[in-house]
Amino acid sequence: MLVVLLGAWAKRPAASVAASWVILAGAALALWTAPLQHLFFGLIVVDPFSQAFRWIALGTLAVVLLLITASREIHPSLRGEGLGLLLLIGVGLMLMAEADHLLMAYLSMELVSLSAYLLVGFLREPRSAEAALKYLLFGALSSGIMLFGMSLLFGLTGQLGFAELRAGVGGMAEPMAGALLLATALMLAGLAFKISMVPFHMWTPDAYEGAPVPVAALLSVGPKAAGLALLLRILTALEPVWPMVAPVVLALTVLTMTLGNVVALVQTNVKRLLAYSTIGQVGYLLIGVAVHTRLSVEALVLYLAAYLFMNLGAFACVVAVVNETGSESLEAFRGLSRRAPALALVMTLLLLSLAGIPPLFGFIGKFLLFGAAIEAEVEWLAVAGVINSAVALYYYVQFIRLMYFAEAAPETAGARLHPALALRVALGVCTAPTLLLGLFPGPILQLIQAGML
Amino acid sequence: MLSLLLACPLIGMLLVLALPRRAVNAIRNIALLATGAALLVALQAAGGFDPSSTAIQFREHLSWIPPLNIFYHLGIDGVSLPMVLLTALLSFLACIGSASITERQKEYYALYLLLEVGMLGTFLALDLFLFYIFWEIVLVPMYFLIGIWGGGRREYSAFKFFVYTLAGSLFMLLAILALSFNTQPHTFDLLALRETGPTLSLPLQQWVFLGFFLGFAIKVPIFPFHTWLPDAHVDAPTPASVLLAGVLLKMGGYGFFRISYPILPDAAQWFSWTMGLLGMINIVYGAFVAMAQTDFKRLVAYSSVSHMGFVLLGLASLRPEGLNGAMLQMFSHGLITGAMFLLVGVLYDRAHTRELEAFGGLGARAPVYGGFLIFFSLGSLGLPGLSGFVAEFLSLVGAFQVERLQVLTMLSVLGIVIAAAYNLKVIRQVLLGPLNTRWQSLADLDLREKLSLTPLLVLTLAVGLYPLLILRLQDGALRQLIASITGQ
Repeated sequence: MLVVLLGAWAKRPAASVAASWVILAGAALALWTAPLQHLFFGLIVVDPFSQAFRWIALGTLAVVLLLITASREIHPSLRGEGLGLLLLIGVGLMLMAEADHLLMAYLSMELVSLSAYLLVGFLREPRSAEAALKYLLFGALSSGIMLFGMSLLFGLTGQLGFAELRAGVGGMAEPMAGALLLATALMLAGLAFKISMVPFHMWTPDAYEGAPVPVAALLSVGPKAAGLALLLRILTALEPVWPMVAPVVLALTVLTMTLGNVVALVQTNVKRLLAYSTIGQVGYLLIGVAVHTRLSVEALVLYLAAYLFMNLGAFACVVAVVNETGSESLEAFRGLSRRAPALALVMTLLLLSLAGIPPLFGFIGKFLLFGAAIEAEVEWLAVAGVINSAVALYYYVQFIRLMYFAEAAPETAGARLHPALALRVALGVCTAPTLLLGLFPGPILQLIQAGML
Repeated sequence: MLSLLLACPLIGMLLVLALPRRAVNAIRNIALLATGAALLVALQAAGGFDPSSTAIQFREHLSWIPPLNIFYHLGIDGVSLPMVLLTALLSFLACIGSASITERQKEYYALYLLLEVGMLGTFLALDLFLFYIFWEIVLVPMYFLIGIWGGGRREYSAFKFFVYTLAGSLFMLLAILALSFNTQPHTFDLLALRETGPTLSLPLQQWVFLGFFLGFAIKVPIFPFHTWLPDAHVDAPTPASVLLAGVLLKMGGYGFFRISYPILPDAAQWFSWTMGLLGMINIVYGAFVAMAQTDFKRLVAYSSVSHMGFVLLGLASLRPEGLNGAMLQMFSHGLITGAMFLLVGVLYDRAHTRELEAFGGLGARAPVYGGFLIFFSLGSLGLPGLSGFVAEFLSLVGAFQVERLQVLTMLSVLGIVIAAAYNLKVIRQVLLGPLNTRWQSLADLDLREKLSLTPLLVLTLAVGLYPLLILRLQDGALRQLIASITGQ
C-alpha cells in the first residue's frame, strides 16, 4: 500500500498532473482498505496512528498539487519534475510516520529532505538558490548530528528497532543516564530541524521566502506532521528516558511558541510571516508531545488535521495574490476585500481559525491541546499557550485589517482578482472543513479516539 | 422556542448574504424583520415564563460533541430572562437606528445579525463550551462594525477592543478547562457544575474564579481593565455603541451571576470585599472622569463605567436587595445608556461634532430632542421615579447591610452626586443657554428616531414606577442563588 513512485518526467505537464491525480486516488483507495501489520522486515508499522498520518500526507499532497497546478511561479514545463519530487516527498512523509526502526527513520527523513531541498530551489533565481543552499547546509548539519545520536544509541543498546530499543533502554536507564540523555538530545536535533523547533528553526523563514509558494505550503504542513509523528514514536520508544528529557522538551515547546509568534509581529513579507506563524503553531502542536498523555496525542492529531486545512488554505490565498500581483509583501493584500470579496472572506476565516477563534476548527484543536495540558496538571503550559494565542492574534488581525480596512493601492485598485479554478477548489476544500468541522467536530473526534485505542 | 429565538437573526443573516449588494431596501427590511421577529419570540417566552418556579424553563438539550461530553443546552431562568428581553429590544431599536449607515449595507446588516445571534446565545447557553462559543462570536462582528463603519480612530479602537477582550476570554477558556477537568465526571454543563463546583477545594475555586474574573472584568469593564471602552464606544457607529453599552457590558455582569457565583460559591464569598472595592472605584472614578469630558459620547461612555460599578457593588453584597439591584441596574442601564447613545448619534448625524462646547440652546430649537435628553439624563443621574434610581438604591441598600462594605457604600454615594453634576452639565451645555447660531437650522427628531427612543422611555418610566415588572421575574432565582452561596 505504499504510494508508487512515479516521477512523471515527460515534458507534458497536463499528462503529469493527470497521472499524479490517478496515483493519489489509487493511494487513497488503498489506504481505505489497508489492514494492520508490520511491513518490510519490521522496519515500518501500519497502525491506526500511522493511518492518520498517511491520510494527512495524502491530503497535503492533494492540495499542494492543486496549488502547483494553479501557481504561475512554477513554469508548466517544470511541473512534471516538480510533481515527481512532490510524490517522492509524499512517500517519505508516510514512511516517517510509520517508521519502527532507526534506520528507516533516518532514510525517510533524508528522502523528504533531499526532495525538499530541490523543490525549494525550484525557481531559477538567486534568492531561491540561496534559500535552497541554506536549507541544505542546515539540514545536512542536523542530519549529521542526528546520525551521531543514533549511532550512540546503537552503541549503547545494540538495537535499532523501536520495540527492541525500548526494552534495551529500560534496563540501563540508571547507570547510563548521561549517555542516553546525550544520545536522545542529539537525535532530537535532526527531528527538531524537520519540524522547525527552536533552536533549529532558523532555516524556515529563508527557505519559505525563497521557495515557490506551493512548496512553502508543502513544507509548512507535511514535514511538520510527519516529523511530529516520528518524534512521538521515538519518544515512546525511549520511554524510560522521558523523565529526564521532559523538562527540555517542555522548555523548547514554550520557546518555539513564543519565538515564532513574537518575531512574526514584525514581518512584512507574507511568506516570512507565515513561516514564523508556522513555528508558533508547531509550538502549540508540541504541547501535545510534551504533555504525553492519550488525550494530548488525540489533540495533536486533531490539531494537525485542522492545521492542514488552515495553513494550506492560507497559502492558497497567498498563491492567488502572488499570481495576480507578483508581490509577496503584505501590502499586496491591501484592500483585498474590495478586489476579491470572496477571497478576503475565506482568508479571514482561515486566519481566525489559525488564531483559534471559535467556532472554527482551529479553536477545537487548541481547546483540546490546552485541555490536555490542564488535565495533565501542566497548567503553566496552557497559560503560555493562551498568552501566545493573544500575541499571535495581533499579526493575524493585521492581515484582516489590511484586507478590510485599508484602501487598495492606486495601481491595483479597481482590478478584480479572479483566482484560478484549481485555487478555488483548493480554497473550498480547505475552508469548508475549517467551518464545518469547527461546528461539528464530533465525528472526526470519534474517529481519532477510536484509532488511538 | 429558544432555538427559534436564535434562528431569527441567523436566518436573517443568511438571507441578507444571499441578496445582491444593491438591494439596500430589501436588506434593511429583512434585518428589521429578523430583529423584530426575535423580539416577538422573546416576548412570547417572557409571557410563558413562570416566575414562581426557579427551575430552568424552555430547556433544550441535545447532544453535540459526544466524545467531549458537550451538549447544545439552552434555557432561561430569572437571571437570563431580563437580559434576553433587553438584548432583543435593543437589537430591534438599534436596527431601526441603523438607517444612518449609508455604505456596504449588506456586510453591515449581516454582521449585525451575527452579533445578535452571539449576544442572545450567550444569555441562553447552559453549557460552558456553548457559552464560550457565543461569547467569542460576539467579538468578530463587533470588530468589523467598529473598524469599518466607525469614526475617529476606528481601526485602533476596534483592534484594541478585539485583542483586549480576546485576551481576557482566553483566560476564561483556561478556567473553563480547569473546571471541567477537575470535576467528576468531566462535564461542561452549567447545571451539573452547580452541584460539583462547590465541592472543589478553596484554592482551586479561587484560581478558577480569577480566570473567569479576568474574562468578565474586561467586559464589564472593571477598573483597571476598562481602557478599551472609551475608545471603542466613541469610535463605534451609533447602533454599535448602543449594543456595546447596552448588551455587551451586561455579558460580563451576567457571567458572574450565571457562572462564577453558582459554581464557585466559596471563592465568591472570599472575593466579595474586593468586588465591592472595585465597584466603588468604578463608580467614583468613572464619575469623576466623565465629569472632565468635553466630548459628549466619551462622557456617556465613562458614565457607563460608573453605572456598571453599581452592578459590582450589588454583587459584592450577596444579599437579596443587592443582587436584585445589580440585576436591575444591568437592565435599566441598558435602557438608559442605550437611549443616550441613540441621542448622541442623532446629534452627531446633524451636527457632525460631539464637542459639548459647540452646542447651546438646542432646547428651544429641538424641543422633542430636548425632552428626551432631559428624561434620559435624569434617568442616568438616578432620579427617583425612573428605573436607575430603584436599581442603584437597591444595590446600595444591599451593600450597606454587609458590615465590611459599609464604608465602600458610603463612598459610592459620592458617585451619584457626581453623576448629577455631569448629567446636568450635559443638559446645560447642550440644551440651555443662548442658541449657538451654527444650529439655526437644526432639525428636530424625525419619526424613525422617535420610534427608536419611545419604547426605551416608556420602559424606563414603567420600571421606575413599578419595578416589580422586572423584579418579579428575577427575584426567585436570585434568592436561590444567594441561598446556595451563603446558605441563607
